[in-house]
Amino acid sequence: MVDGIRPENLQEALKALSEQKCTIMAGGTDLMVQRARGFALAPEFDMPLLFIDHLEELKKIFIENDEIHIGAAAILTDIVENDIIPKVFREMVQKMASPPTRNMATLAGNICNASPAGDTLPYLYAVDAKIVLQSAKGSRTVAIDEFIVGLKKTCLRSDELVTDIVIPSKVFEHNYYRKLGQRKGMSLTKASMLGMADIKDGKVTDIRIAFGSVSAQILRSEDIEKKLINRTPEDVNQDMPSILADYDVLISPIDDARSTANYRKAVSLRMIKDFIESLTKK
Amino acid sequence: MRIEFTLNDKAIKIDADASRRLLDVLRDDLGMKSVKEGCGEGECGACVVLVNGRSVNSCMLPAGAIIGKSVVTLEGFKHTERYKAIEKGFLKAGSVQCGFCTPGFVISTESLLNANPRPTDEEIKEALSGNLCRCTGYNMIIKGVRMAMDIGEGLW
Amino acid sequence: MKKPISTSILRVDSRKKLRGEAEYISDWNFENVLYAKTLRSTKPKAKIVSIEIPEIPEGYFIVDKNDVPGANRMRTVVSDHPLFAEDDVQYIGQPILLVVGPERETIYSIASKIKIEYKEEDALFTLEEAEKRSTVFTDYSFQKEDPDNAFKHAHQIIEDDFSTGYQEHVYLEPNGIAAEMKGETLFVYGSMQCPFYVKGALLDAMDMPEDKIRVVQSVTGGAFGGKEEFPSLNGCHVAVATKKTGRPVVMIYDRDEDVICSTKRHPSKTHIKAALDKDNHIVALDIDIKLNAGAYNGLSPVVLQRAIFSATNVYNIKHLNVRGRNYMTNSLPSGAYRGFGAPQSLFALEMMFHNIAVKLGVDPLEYKMQHILKQGDPTCTGGQVREKVVLPEIVERIVKNSDYYNKLNSNKKYQGIGVSLFLHGCGFTGKGETMINGKITLVKKGDGVTLKVSSVEMGQGAETVLRKIVAETLEIPIENVIYEKVDTGLIPDSGPTVASRTTMIVGGLLRDTALEMKKRWKEERFELSKRYEHPKYLSWDDEHFIGDCYPVHSWGANIAEVDVDPVSYELTIKKLYAVYDVGVPIDERALIGQMEGGIAQGIGWATIEVMESQSGRLVQGNLTDYKVPTSMDVPEMECDFVLNPYEFGPFGAKCAGELSFVGSPPAVAEAVANALRKPINHLPIKPETLLEIDNAD
Repeated sequence: MVDGIRPENLQEALKALSEQKCTIMAGGTDLMVQRARGFALAPEFDMPLLFIDHLEELKKIFIENDEIHIGAAAILTDIVENDIIPKVFREMVQKMASPPTRNMATLAGNICNASPAGDTLPYLYAVDAKIVLQSAKGSRTVAIDEFIVGLKKTCLRSDELVTDIVIPSKVFEHNYYRKLGQRKGMSLTKASMLGMADIKDGKVTDIRIAFGSVSAQILRSEDIEKKLINRTPEDVNQDMPSILADYDVLISPIDDARSTANYRKAVSLRMIKDFIESLTKK
Repeated sequence: MRIEFTLNDKAIKIDADASRRLLDVLRDDLGMKSVKEGCGEGECGACVVLVNGRSVNSCMLPAGAIIGKSVVTLEGFKHTERYKAIEKGFLKAGSVQCGFCTPGFVISTESLLNANPRPTDEEIKEALSGNLCRCTGYNMIIKGVRMAMDIGEGLW
Repeated sequence: MKKPISTSILRVDSRKKLRGEAEYISDWNFENVLYAKTLRSTKPKAKIVSIEIPEIPEGYFIVDKNDVPGANRMRTVVSDHPLFAEDDVQYIGQPILLVVGPERETIYSIASKIKIEYKEEDALFTLEEAEKRSTVFTDYSFQKEDPDNAFKHAHQIIEDDFSTGYQEHVYLEPNGIAAEMKGETLFVYGSMQCPFYVKGALLDAMDMPEDKIRVVQSVTGGAFGGKEEFPSLNGCHVAVATKKTGRPVVMIYDRDEDVICSTKRHPSKTHIKAALDKDNHIVALDIDIKLNAGAYNGLSPVVLQRAIFSATNVYNIKHLNVRGRNYMTNSLPSGAYRGFGAPQSLFALEMMFHNIAVKLGVDPLEYKMQHILKQGDPTCTGGQVREKVVLPEIVERIVKNSDYYNKLNSNKKYQGIGVSLFLHGCGFTGKGETMINGKITLVKKGDGVTLKVSSVEMGQGAETVLRKIVAETLEIPIENVIYEKVDTGLIPDSGPTVASRTTMIVGGLLRDTALEMKKRWKEERFELSKRYEHPKYLSWDDEHFIGDCYPVHSWGANIAEVDVDPVSYELTIKKLYAVYDVGVPIDERALIGQMEGGIAQGIGWATIEVMESQSGRLVQGNLTDYKVPTSMDVPEMECDFVLNPYEFGPFGAKCAGELSFVGSPPAVAEAVANALRKPINHLPIKPETLLEIDNAD
């Protein structure tokens, strides 16, 4: 038997968290399956459940000062349908799970699950997203790559709640996203790559590349990206062997029930090539 | 936990464990047998119901999360004009074989047409991609949705 | 004007299912019910040293081998699977005991506290290991003419290897079964294809008289072979439990449990050697098929039979040496699945033909057509092809519908088109139908007729089709034809709902009986029964496998158009054309529904349904990891028919249920081979493998 706490508002939620350890329940689509015990049995939890999915204050999506704030309880469907959010991110979210699951699942949940296969993460890493955490004692903002500290681990304290995710409103000129699944319908990701770039006066002025499911944490290398700035796409393309060699060292996938390390690595490198070649054609 | 919500337009008040799956609340506590358990992990869609007009996987929804919301299952939906259009379309198209996935598809169809009354074939396929069918190969189900749209013109 | 029989009608069971009112076994209510959970082996091969049961509250029970009143074996073709493990276990997932009680939470808690001590033993996991240790369950072979001589004098010999993987049925309704005593009579209810098989198994296990056991089919949410022999196991489980506890017992499987422990399609390895003459015509084939039967033989011998008898597919090959072996491995038992051995062997030969044609630089379709059977030709076992073979018409139609040759000639790399030709033998193999000796009954009461058969409606449309056959014959509305409840206490045994026999064999008996009834229609009330009689012109030597293994065949062709993604090697199957000869469709829409469903399942088996076993454990053990096609994974399908009425089938009908499955896997594989210009000999076709194949040189 587990208790449920249904706060009336955010303040009550934070107060509850300050009083006892709770399992935060937004959409529940990861937690209810991870803790499932089978036919007609309730999933097992060892802490009271703190429900936040109904809190209007946590469902808001809005722009302020060139930054988009996405509330922790905003469901994925709302993200897909809100066009203040950059199109490539909306497309990534639409490729997650299935329509009924997206009607329950939240961005905050995907982040806090901290899986290397988390489909929203490559974008958040690529744009240096910020996570806003609140507790009864106050609030703090943490960069995404400091929030997720390891495989399925975050630095969320037991009295804290993720309340917003903040991403820049910037839309890149050239966007490339590929998610490799086991089939076209809903599937966990075998490997994915997000590539975004701006080209001005024939030169690359900004470029972000991030991979999902090919390492213990989301892979993004700002060092490699810096090497590509201020060069023409053709020039970058000529340098492909060395770029691929740089990424090859960093891409460290595993064999699992869904795919092999060999395939994940090989296709990741092919996707980089495909992305950069596509820039030369623009 | 005290769970108060609306089921098929009726007010419901029950006590349930906070993590009790909505699927079990509906089937075992409230007798809504049209909602099926096909996998228990959100992969098959046999358990979908409408919550505030949108389809959700009831096998992953904890009881504590439906407080104050409106849940619709086929037991309620089958009395509506929209259901009749879906029924006619599905019958004519041959969308039903073993029937276990059927309640889920009916609910997902309502969820789709409620949000988008004239979807393209691609949009229909995408909207139904969370419902598995092992018998039909899907084409007759997609056809059934298209027929429902035409038969039920103006209802959505 | 009377409409032809094929004119579609609304299926009789759809409306109830649409309204969510159909009652599957998990929807049934029982008074005073107990639930059961199976405790299963976690080791692939071990002696059970001890089982420590914790203290159990009042009203809870452990049910195990000691509680079986009769034989602790599941009755099937080979009754080697223990109902409850005795001193040892042979596969991960093997049932050991049941925990039974009124509250699921408590059952779960008890089950998690039971401690089993195992002494592990050396286990066999792969077909390769099994081959080395020769753990052969069954070894069948047959020859035709003089293959040794043909190979000796061959102008050219080509040989190659092929393999196929596991497949799980993923019927949307997981296995579920229930049992109760009503007075002295045992009732077993559940999701099943063969109520009389379950009854037979109960007779062995329960040591009760025949008239005190009744098996009732509940609305069945899909089966595809997965509920053919398996319910004999879980049916005995709940029967033993109800006998012990004195209360009704219900057991519904979790999906993961169902995936991990229920029977699967046999993985296969096939080696084919072909002898070509100087005209490049194949004059001899040596086919060696190996199937992974898992830990127990069960009904694998019959699967093996169909595999070897379908191994030459639609082709007339003069000299044959065909051998099939079932191997034992410490993995879960393989069992019945739509196609029943034929998909495995047929895939191998289709790819062999394709590869040889490519090697010779000729069109694969043309090359295949040069070898096809005609009416009057000998079958692979020296019987006779008695029906008209309309493959030429089928091929002409499908080539036209698909614009095959234009696409073949214009396709760029990574775009492919492939064609498969196939057949399926209708009804039970060999003397199976004679052994079953199915019986049907029709009862007239006023304007209404009740039909009594043991065929189950499991989504394939059996109830609609059989009622339609009777209604059309008697020229009465279908509403006046009642389908008796499938309860072994109320119906005769017309045989199991398998082997694509329902329409042709059972429907045939119903048609003949209805014709007799029509002559006596003025009589108010009477009953007529009929038993199956195997056509006398057919002969079958079951010992040497000589003669007619099937009375007739259905035939077909599929063409698949596939794109291979050049970066990721993911497949997009753009379109699937299909043309079939099933004699005469009894209901066109119901038949197309079967065809499209079979095509989708075949595509799944060929591509995305990856199921591997490592050290006896299924790597993909739930629906998150084992993927079946969704609405976004199936192509547009175009199904067409060539009419070819079968003299001895009801209204000319033959078989269809499994024919619909066997064609799409080789068609898709050939399209991929065409796209990459490399042979595709192994299923499933994974992007991981295609990446390697395409970059091998």
